[in-house]
Amino acid sequence: MEMVSLSAIHDAQKAERFSDLANLCDNLDLELASKGGELPEDWPYVIHLLGHILVSDLNSARFLWKRIPASVKQNQPELLAAWKIGQCMWTHNYSGVHEALHNFEWSHDVRPVVGRIAEDYSGRIFRLLSTAYSTISVTDAASYLGLSINDTIIFTGKNGWGFDPSSQMLTVHPLVTTVEQKLDASNLQSLTEYVFHLEH
Amino acid sequence: MDSLEVLVAQVQALSGSTDDLLHLHGLLKQLDDSLQQQQQHHQAIQQCLLQLDPAKHSLGFLYFLDAFGSADISMDQSESFISTSATFINASSVDQVRMAPEKFTNVCKRMRDETIRVQRPIRAISPLHIAIRKLQPSSEYLTPLHADLLQICLLAKCYKAALSVLDDDIFEIDQKKTGLTPKDFLLFCYYGGMAYVGLKRFEKALELFQHAVTAPAFVLNAIVVESYKKYVLVSLIQNGQVPNLPKYTPSVTQRNVKSCAPDYVEFASVYSTRNIGDLKRSILAHEEVFQKDNNLGLAKQVVSSLYKRNIQRLTQTFLTLSLQDIAETVQLESPKDAELHILQMIQKGEIHAIINQKDGMVSFLEDPEQYKTRDIAQQLHGQIQKIIGLAKKIRFADEQVSCDLAYLSKIGRDRPNYDPEEFEVVPQKGFTNL
Amino acid sequence: MESVSDSGPGATEQLDVDAYASLYTGRTRIVRLFFIADHTKSPSLELDALRMAFKEIKKGENTALFKEVVEKIGERLGPSFLLEQDWIDSVDRRAAQRLEKLEMELNGYKTNLIKESIRMGYNDLGEFHYARGDLQQAFKCYVRTRDYCTTSKHIIAMCLNVILVSIELGHFVHVSNYVSKAEQTPDVQDPAILAKLRCAAGLASLESKKYKLAARKFVETNFELGSSFSEVIAPQDVATYGGLCALASFDRSELKSKVIDNITFRNFLELMPEVRELIHDFYASRYASCLGCLQKLKPNLLLDIHLYDHVETLYEQIRHKALIQYTNPFISVDLNTMANAFTTTVAGLEKELAALIMENQIQARIDSHNKILYARHADQRNTTFQRVLQTGSEFQRDTRAMLLRANLTRQDFIVRATKKQTP
Repeated sequence: MEMVSLSAIHDAQKAERFSDLANLCDNLDLELASKGGELPEDWPYVIHLLGHILVSDLNSARFLWKRIPASVKQNQPELLAAWKIGQCMWTHNYSGVHEALHNFEWSHDVRPVVGRIAEDYSGRIFRLLSTAYSTISVTDAASYLGLSINDTIIFTGKNGWGFDPSSQMLTVHPLVTTVEQKLDASNLQSLTEYVFHLEH
Repeated sequence: MDSLEVLVAQVQALSGSTDDLLHLHGLLKQLDDSLQQQQQHHQAIQQCLLQLDPAKHSLGFLYFLDAFGSADISMDQSESFISTSATFINASSVDQVRMAPEKFTNVCKRMRDETIRVQRPIRAISPLHIAIRKLQPSSEYLTPLHADLLQICLLAKCYKAALSVLDDDIFEIDQKKTGLTPKDFLLFCYYGGMAYVGLKRFEKALELFQHAVTAPAFVLNAIVVESYKKYVLVSLIQNGQVPNLPKYTPSVTQRNVKSCAPDYVEFASVYSTRNIGDLKRSILAHEEVFQKDNNLGLAKQVVSSLYKRNIQRLTQTFLTLSLQDIAETVQLESPKDAELHILQMIQKGEIHAIINQKDGMVSFLEDPEQYKTRDIAQQLHGQIQKIIGLAKKIRFADEQVSCDLAYLSKIGRDRPNYDPEEFEVVPQKGFTNL
Repeated sequence: MESVSDSGPGATEQLDVDAYASLYTGRTRIVRLFFIADHTKSPSLELDALRMAFKEIKKGENTALFKEVVEKIGERLGPSFLLEQDWIDSVDRRAAQRLEKLEMELNGYKTNLIKESIRMGYNDLGEFHYARGDLQQAFKCYVRTRDYCTTSKHIIAMCLNVILVSIELGHFVHVSNYVSKAEQTPDVQDPAILAKLRCAAGLASLESKKYKLAARKFVETNFELGSSFSEVIAPQDVATYGGLCALASFDRSELKSKVIDNITFRNFLELMPEVRELIHDFYASRYASCLGCLQKLKPNLLLDIHLYDHVETLYEQIRHKALIQYTNPFISVDLNTMANAFTTTVAGLEKELAALIMENQIQARIDSHNKILYARHADQRNTTFQRVLQTGSEFQRDTRAMLLRANLTRQDFIVRATKKQTP
């Protein structure tokens, strides 16, 4: 019975529907709990935790960490490494996050999830830097992005940033975002309804 | 022992139609006491339970289970009680269960107690959730189990699970249908508020704490006092100030609640000076009290919110400001500290600014929101729909009151005091003013 | 504050004690001299003031004040300014005799029930006690005359007496009350009396920090005042108090209509050309000159018994008004230029402006990088949308709470004491 349910999680992993992982794990957790007994030995805590981190639900990740029994934490170094990622995100330790992501030999199942997290995170940080800075030192940028200084210069250069070697400063090229502006005719219907309501 | 057998047979026989069930219910109520006294004979009761089907014979099953649970249960029986209850809750028939809401609630509460005893509160979450849905005539009804579910979620640290009941708008309070007591309501508000605080949804937390503090009351209740303490702290985090209690707060609460939480009131007044140094000293001074009330974490969040608020105030006065000046004005350690603070605020959308590291300057921008996008239009539509829904509810409540016998008789008595013109206008205006 | 007479041009002039004291008569002259002596940092000024006070006290009958002044002098002025016990004793004896006589006469009048005599009897007693320095008794006696007043003149006289004593006592609430009483008395025509009442009202307002009201009272005082109220206030004071309060509290149009174009008040300002100049400077936006002038006046103003408490506040308000007025017409202001105009540093100016912006007195924002102040116009459309969304969610929240509460009450769902608790 339990094997069948866990397979739903494995399927999601294989199909790379990573954002579903957290919910699946949560629901299954509750279901199994209601039927009694402890969670099975091979419960994928790591995937559960990473699932939360992936969708930036750091609150749930923290609570999950508090729930996990100490014995499990001791026996699974991978779990500790996964938690490190969440911890660094929670404390806004940007360079720490990159370290935690890359400085561990992730197991085969876990690697794709971590990879997706790393991708999303880098993208988010880059967007943040683009909107928050007009100029930034190359050392800071490198540590935020988790790249070497040279790589940083190359990467940002590709995105239109300028680099001044004398001051070691990068000039940020702002991101252009397009926003949909079309409004459709159903608004007229809604407006009529509102006026009718207000009149009565 | 024999009587038990007889009872089992009756349950099995009379669990068919509604009439039979009513008859059965009567029988069960009569025999309830004797059933309770059979507590010592757990074996016997368990045997009976095995003979009954939780789905078909829900009502009878419920009574037996309640008897089982009313006694002291030993640790080894605990497991069987929990699993039996969980299965029962899952399988039971909604109609039958609603015939005896207090019993149903009792059983659920007992099960919850047991899960706490065996230190696996998470086990109770799913069954309680199902139980609530079965007990509620609609999602707007509050049941005594709401508070229990929330408490369990807090204990088990599964805050997200609490959301499913919290996000329902609760309006209906019906003692007959759900067996609710005022204390359940207060606990619901209190635990609910704490759950929202854990999820960092401070606005909703504030709403629930306020419900608790303004609930009608003749006496001051400890839950209300604790709710008030959290209300003060969450108000500071969310709004930067603690508003006066609304006029409709019961007078006994209004007069006494502040004197029951003097540390918090003082803390709030220090906050209004916007001086970080003073606030930090205030926390140290009241640390013991906050710790005892389990509010120290919340109090620390209040301090961070002051930093944030002070920085936000700077945007009102300056277009650009050096990181050095920011650090000095807001009493941060260093310009780098200020930079990190601002970066995080930008990340969370709490401020619109651009940092210029080369010159060590921050430029504050106007809110770029133009309110022209489709998203905003949809948001507005959504809000308006909700408001129209609420207005309909109000109109319905108004009609109900207008037809209410007690109200009409009172109005009739007071009619000579009212100017006929006034009389027409007053009830309308009170309710349909948008 | 320094009131030293050293330093070159532009330094504050030392107060000419003789000229100052000659503006006042009676008790207030002595009290003012004491004040100057107590608060000045210049020993020579102190001794001058005390010397004059000594001479003045000897003309009167207040032996308590005599003892006080001798103590303050402390033998610093030589042998002619020491305690004269003989003088004290003879004055006290005379006073005791006079008191007995007055009281006997009053009792006589009372038995005869002649209103006018009783009134005059109490009045005389009041004057006696006032001269002896027993202000509380004087107050009581003057107030008693009220029951025996038969004409408007009597009432006015009574009011003015009470006002005088109240001012000396520092009970300005009474001052306001009796000013109203006097003003409500019919047939009050004498401009001098009206002027006195205005001044008294102005002083009361000043004392209670209602600067705008005080300004209005002072600028409405007519010039017939002259020296008729020298027991309380000199026309120079009217100019100073009125001018400063007006600068601190009037807006530009009021300043023009009530002060600058006010012919009556102009007469007062003639007496204090410095105040007149600085008002004109302010109006013409010559802020550096105006503020410089204020600084020059400050030390002597701090020696004034009515004004000293308010000098700092008034100066601060005037300065703020100047800053606000300066920035008003511009879209952008260079802070360096502005700092020069106000003789302050750019950093200091930035702090002052930031405070004013946060109090919403100036609608602008500071570009601290380039040191420019930019006027700011709120985006109405944006704010409207924000308010709409906020009102919407507040309405929903309040309505939900109300519906819930309605149901709670309907179900009689009230938290009650359980049987175990004591209510």
